[in-house]
Amino acid sequence: MNPFQPFYNMKIGVVDLSASKAEVIPLDQEQVSRYLGGAAMNSAILEGYQGDALVFGTGPLTGSFAPASSLVIASFASPIFKRLCHVPLMLRTGPDMKFSGVDYLVVKGTAPEPSILHVNHGKIRILPAGNLQHMPVPKAIRQLKKTSPPFQSVIITGPAADRGISFASVSIGQNGSLDKAGLVSRMAAKNLKGIMLGGTDGLPFNRDNPHQGKELEKIISTDKNFKRRGFFSVLKNLEGGKDAGKFLKAERKKDMACYHCPSPCMTHVRYSWQDPRNKEMQNSEDGLLLLDHTGCAALAKKVKKNILPILQSCLHYGLDPAAVAERLPEGGTMLEYLNAIDKIVSDNPHRTTDVSETYRLFGGGIPPILTGDSWEKRVGLAMILGVCPVFLLRFPQITDAALLSFISTREEDLKTLQDDLSSAIASLFSPETMS
Amino acid sequence: MTEKQTTEKPIAEQDFSLNLDDLRPRHAEKRHLSDYFMPRRHSFIIFHPDRCTGCGACEMICSTRNVEIVAPASASVKVVRDEKQGKNFSILCQHCRKPLCLPACPTRAIEKGDDGIVRIDKLFCTQCGLCTMACPAAAPIKDPGSQEIHKCDLCEGDPLCVKHCPENALTFTRGKGFRWIKALRWTSQLISFLLLVMVFIGTFCYFKTGSVSFACPTGTLQNIASSGTVVLVSVSSALALLILTVLAGRLFCGWVCPFGFVLDLVDKITPRKIGWPSFLKSRMTKYGVLAGAVGGSYALGFQVFCVVCPIGTLCRSYGLQSFFKSAELAIVPALASLEIAQRRSWCRYFCPVGAVLGLTALLRLIKIVIGAKRCKKFSCIQCAEVCPVGIIDADKLREGLSPKIPMTECIMCMRCIDRCPYDAAKIRFRWQKAVPGEGRT
Repeated sequence: MNPFQPFYNMKIGVVDLSASKAEVIPLDQEQVSRYLGGAAMNSAILEGYQGDALVFGTGPLTGSFAPASSLVIASFASPIFKRLCHVPLMLRTGPDMKFSGVDYLVVKGTAPEPSILHVNHGKIRILPAGNLQHMPVPKAIRQLKKTSPPFQSVIITGPAADRGISFASVSIGQNGSLDKAGLVSRMAAKNLKGIMLGGTDGLPFNRDNPHQGKELEKIISTDKNFKRRGFFSVLKNLEGGKDAGKFLKAERKKDMACYHCPSPCMTHVRYSWQDPRNKEMQNSEDGLLLLDHTGCAALAKKVKKNILPILQSCLHYGLDPAAVAERLPEGGTMLEYLNAIDKIVSDNPHRTTDVSETYRLFGGGIPPILTGDSWEKRVGLAMILGVCPVFLLRFPQITDAALLSFISTREEDLKTLQDDLSSAIASLFSPETMS
Repeated sequence: MTEKQTTEKPIAEQDFSLNLDDLRPRHAEKRHLSDYFMPRRHSFIIFHPDRCTGCGACEMICSTRNVEIVAPASASVKVVRDEKQGKNFSILCQHCRKPLCLPACPTRAIEKGDDGIVRIDKLFCTQCGLCTMACPAAAPIKDPGSQEIHKCDLCEGDPLCVKHCPENALTFTRGKGFRWIKALRWTSQLISFLLLVMVFIGTFCYFKTGSVSFACPTGTLQNIASSGTVVLVSVSSALALLILTVLAGRLFCGWVCPFGFVLDLVDKITPRKIGWPSFLKSRMTKYGVLAGAVGGSYALGFQVFCVVCPIGTLCRSYGLQSFFKSAELAIVPALASLEIAQRRSWCRYFCPVGAVLGLTALLRLIKIVIGAKRCKKFSCIQCAEVCPVGIIDADKLREGLSPKIPMTECIMCMRCIDRCPYDAAKIRFRWQKAVPGEGRT
């Protein structure tokens, strides 16, 4: 019996935007057994398509009882890093993709007009999205909620991507993402405005032991990282993170978690600020979800106490805060920063990047909590199984075996799975992939 | 047999059609004698929005029970994230004391069991979705796939979502185990009753010891009207109760009044109310009674209302010494019988003592506030149900708006504070603008 059967719909959605056609084909069982899923499986699928194809894929544990099983991985040839990249997309996108009836989604070709995909019940619809062009991200989402079929999650590009800005970043809902590798540019080049995930179906997973996740939670509950939670607990481990934390002062903070994550690493902040471009207006109150640790640390280094409104402005345009930080002057005023962001969107200046080679493979946005081999192994494991990499980096005591036991508890299965996992992780870092 | 056959209609004329009562008779709520004195506390789930991180573990585990697969959309609990405000809400059935979904169901598929759990019988459910619309929290959730209606049944007393929440944002509780306000109030009422009715007979109307004197404020007003003179000692005697009202609202009505105690006891044995004619439902009536009492005293030259005052007659006529010696004895049962129409009917509509205290309460220092934001999305409205004078607007609570409590009518019994499982009802100084769950308004 295939141990992956209850973990996948065993379906790949293939969208040809040039021909405005979408079909759902069965997932190759052999390929799944060999690569398990996630980034490794995405790479294998990508080999079968043209170089400009995009693959969104889930891992076997995505949506399951495993903790932080929230991941969908986007794999593509990065226009910024000029190599294959795997970008993790979190919150609820992973489970919602699986519960929409497809495990992998291949997008090829270029749409004749701006389009958006709607996936649900194992069916894919290509809908026109011309009216969303150049619309700020929050407004575009509001518009989608009014006019499109119901959806649980949306991966969307902002007005910066519509203008072909290399500083752009894809946004999950209106919260931004860890995309620093140009996933958004690939989507924009295909005239793909976004992907809406209906998420109304389900999967049986390992229903014999739904309490398995709770048992694993007990193991990590004694860890100091389990108690120190929220965005700032991760931020302080980064270079300049402690200083950034001082500038992220807000009126109200609330820790938020991705799907089935017992230890939240995101924080929602509410703050009030005065827009210097409109002095007649009174202080306005805004709120945003902090999820991009590296982006925030980079931005705080430059803009210091002005970080929250500047970050909001980045999310509004769909810009990568880390890339924007590189262009901002140090010690400027709020007005100067806001004008600089407007200038980035209007002028599309050349983007430079100093992300190291390993971090580039996974999109450059996963925080370097651990270093060297340990970081690679943990992130590789997360990106294959479909578990949040930040969660696995924070809790190194969660072993490969503990995660694989969610797929099968039979000893012979576990041994095979362990071997397959090792070779799948190795395939991610193979010389061909790294080049 | 032959005779019976002749009285029956011919078969062709007989109506064999079944109506809803034949298919599904209404479930009658059983009440035991003990329920009148110590109502059963049914369990329910309390959601703590400040703890919830929106991970959706509750949806996951709930769906495995509903549809035997992990499908959050098919769960009976729904986590909603307000991305702008940064708040999470969990929508789940509160198993209301008087569920609105129940009468809304056209096929009577929804029942409230003796264990307090509101259940949907799938056999009778036609998936019309009217219960979803009737529920103020939209707790019955329509499965977008199968169109089935899913509603929390508390996992028959052992809710999985509570066990699986990593943040303990859901707690399964039977409410407050010991209601200390209730215990204190009943004790206070009992002691006041014993003292005023059994020991110091007649002292409510006027009491003097040494240089300290006490008088009923309504009686004092009538006295002034009937005699045409203002005696300073008499006025100062009436001040004690008025000062208490300024400091603590109409605390006397809820905690001391012996007739109020009698009414509360009568309410215990007459839990079902027959209703009060709408034309009599005016809280202004008591001010009319007060004006009539003062005017009548002025015209007739004696304290006219004191003759029929239930508090006065209770204190004067039912003591150990004066038992069964007066015609006044009939007044208390006669007015107490109003309790079968509505709780504290006398206090709501007629009591002139309450009217004087109500007017004084305009100068009160404290107020009761109920923060609907703290209990929003639950609509348990227990505060409105326990309020004996019916001044808490249940509809406003259902809309998620904080009701304004008219302190001139509130008898400060504090039942709302005692009952609220969310700590949303609080006592505040009148100048304080903070409402629980909302901050400053």
